[in-house]
Amino acid sequence: MGYESVVAPRSRQGRKRPQALPEPRRPRPALARAGLVVAGAGLGAVTALAITDETLAELRAPGGAATFLGSLTGLVGMYLALLMVLLVSRIPAIERVLGQDGLLRWHRRLAPWPISLLIAHALFIIVGYAQAARAGLGHQVAVLLTRYPDVLIATIGLAIMCIIGILSIRAIRRRLRRETWWLIHLYMYLALALSFAHVLALGPSFVGHPLTQLVWSVAWAATAGLVLCYRFGLPVARTLRHRLVVHEVRQEGPGVVSVICSGRNLDKLSVTGGQFFFWRFLTRSMWWQAHPYTLSALPQPPYMRLTVKAVGDHSAAVARLRPGTRIAVEGPYGAFTKFAQQRPQALLVAAGIGVTALRSLLEDMPRNSAPVVLLRGTRPEDLVLRKEVAELVRYRRGRLHELVGTREQALLDERSLPRLVPDLHRRDIYVCGPEGFVTSIVDLAARLEIPAEAVHHEAYAL
Amino acid sequence: MKRAGWYLVAGVVAGFGGVLGLHGGGTAAPALVGQPKPGGTAAAAPSGSPSAAGPARSAGPAARQGSATGQARSATGAVVQYGYGELSVAVTVHGNQITAVSVPLLRTAEPYSQQLAQQVIPMLRSEVLAVHSAQIHGVSGATYTSEAYARSIQSALDKLHVR
Repeated sequence: MGYESVVAPRSRQGRKRPQALPEPRRPRPALARAGLVVAGAGLGAVTALAITDETLAELRAPGGAATFLGSLTGLVGMYLALLMVLLVSRIPAIERVLGQDGLLRWHRRLAPWPISLLIAHALFIIVGYAQAARAGLGHQVAVLLTRYPDVLIATIGLAIMCIIGILSIRAIRRRLRRETWWLIHLYMYLALALSFAHVLALGPSFVGHPLTQLVWSVAWAATAGLVLCYRFGLPVARTLRHRLVVHEVRQEGPGVVSVICSGRNLDKLSVTGGQFFFWRFLTRSMWWQAHPYTLSALPQPPYMRLTVKAVGDHSAAVARLRPGTRIAVEGPYGAFTKFAQQRPQALLVAAGIGVTALRSLLEDMPRNSAPVVLLRGTRPEDLVLRKEVAELVRYRRGRLHELVGTREQALLDERSLPRLVPDLHRRDIYVCGPEGFVTSIVDLAARLEIPAEAVHHEAYAL
Repeated sequence: MKRAGWYLVAGVVAGFGGVLGLHGGGTAAPALVGQPKPGGTAAAAPSGSPSAAGPARSAGPAARQGSATGQARSATGAVVQYGYGELSVAVTVHGNQITAVSVPLLRTAEPYSQQLAQQVIPMLRSEVLAVHSAQIHGVSGATYTSEAYARSIQSALDKLHVR
């Protein structure tokens, strides 16, 4: 049995869907807000912990101030490192609200802080201890490394963190292959594991304070548990449960293919339109890479479809996949969904392959939602899936505008956009496509004084 | 997320205040009397003044000018763990007066504490001999060591029934 993009019958509200899909889980912003409060509380608690364990007299002792600063920076630095891990642990409740791209943005923004604080921590401790023991700095470093429990491995951990930090600087990261950078980055888990022991053995807030030790250990154990569960356990379980394989590869346009996958129990997979998966095609050359591709249609059990444009090695290899290739998936992820919409109507803007997210998002919109859809492409054949999109829009009594041509010919600016969409300020805007395009539309919306909460975007970074 | 900053700040304030509040409850009663004095003037503590700050120990009597007559009795105080190590102090008294103090056992977790203890123990010894009791102020920068020292001496004195 083949796969036909069953567009019209699916969207008819009155008829039953061919196979009823489970109701997707709603994101709950309250949970994310609660998470923010808890994260802040942890930061305040850790700072207070470092401060309350000092007495004024200890500060005045030789090396006292430096040791105190070392203790403070160490505690806050390790706590922020913990938060960094939590941000990318893909906890579903948080991911549904912030989206994988939002979480990564926060992760990148926070990153300089723990690393800087931990480097400062090492320096302060060396200076403080050297002053207290009235020794030279070089000698003190040697003493710290050789005669204090767990400091050597913690220092190795810090070195690994520094290397990862340097490699993540944009200018340097660009020169590395994505997979190389990614593999090195995974060593952060090792770096944190190595650093854990010396905190309990030497930290003044922990020595002789069993309750503090317990709370700290539980926090780290819980984080490790969450990572194991949601980053590794859940994706493996889903892969095994659904057993996706490549069913067919279809040409959609120049350089664009759709991969139709078949699997089991897809009626139990809860996906919202606009979400994506990380796809790991288990061939000899591709098994070690997982790339994000959006579903270009809601699952039609037993089939699922993704549409991919060949822009790099991996996406080009996707076009050459053979039917029967097994697939490991991680997901569904993404907050670029109908749940983000606050106003009753929407404007959907897509360029090039960005139409995939738009296409599955449209499926989730009810019959009379009258969406306005702008498809942008350089040539007519670049507007892939346009027939499906046109059908979906027509059924929802919306309007479709196909803007074909160069950037000058099909200009979207402060004059042309309101002309195309007169009720622009009453709509939520979804924009999807290459990074440059998305940025320009988001900036345009800001210039047109559309509030930022009404603009939802997903950029495909390559 | 709207107003994300405010939620974060609220959390920080709550966490900070919470831990401060918990700490204000206090841990075990400190063995030291009041704030430890800076190292150089350890022996300058006036012997007769019960410091109001130390809760459990402040009811101690002033140092006695006891007679140095009588037999010499010795006892070794309990081994006191203080997180960074453990120590015990041995005390010799003539009558009611402490005449000699020594540290038969000192084990530390790491060399910094060892160094510290070795620097600080002579100062503590002088203080004990000056005030003739375990009610010492200790040495700043070595609060844990000083506390352990004081506790161990007190336990030795208790064994000898010296009040």
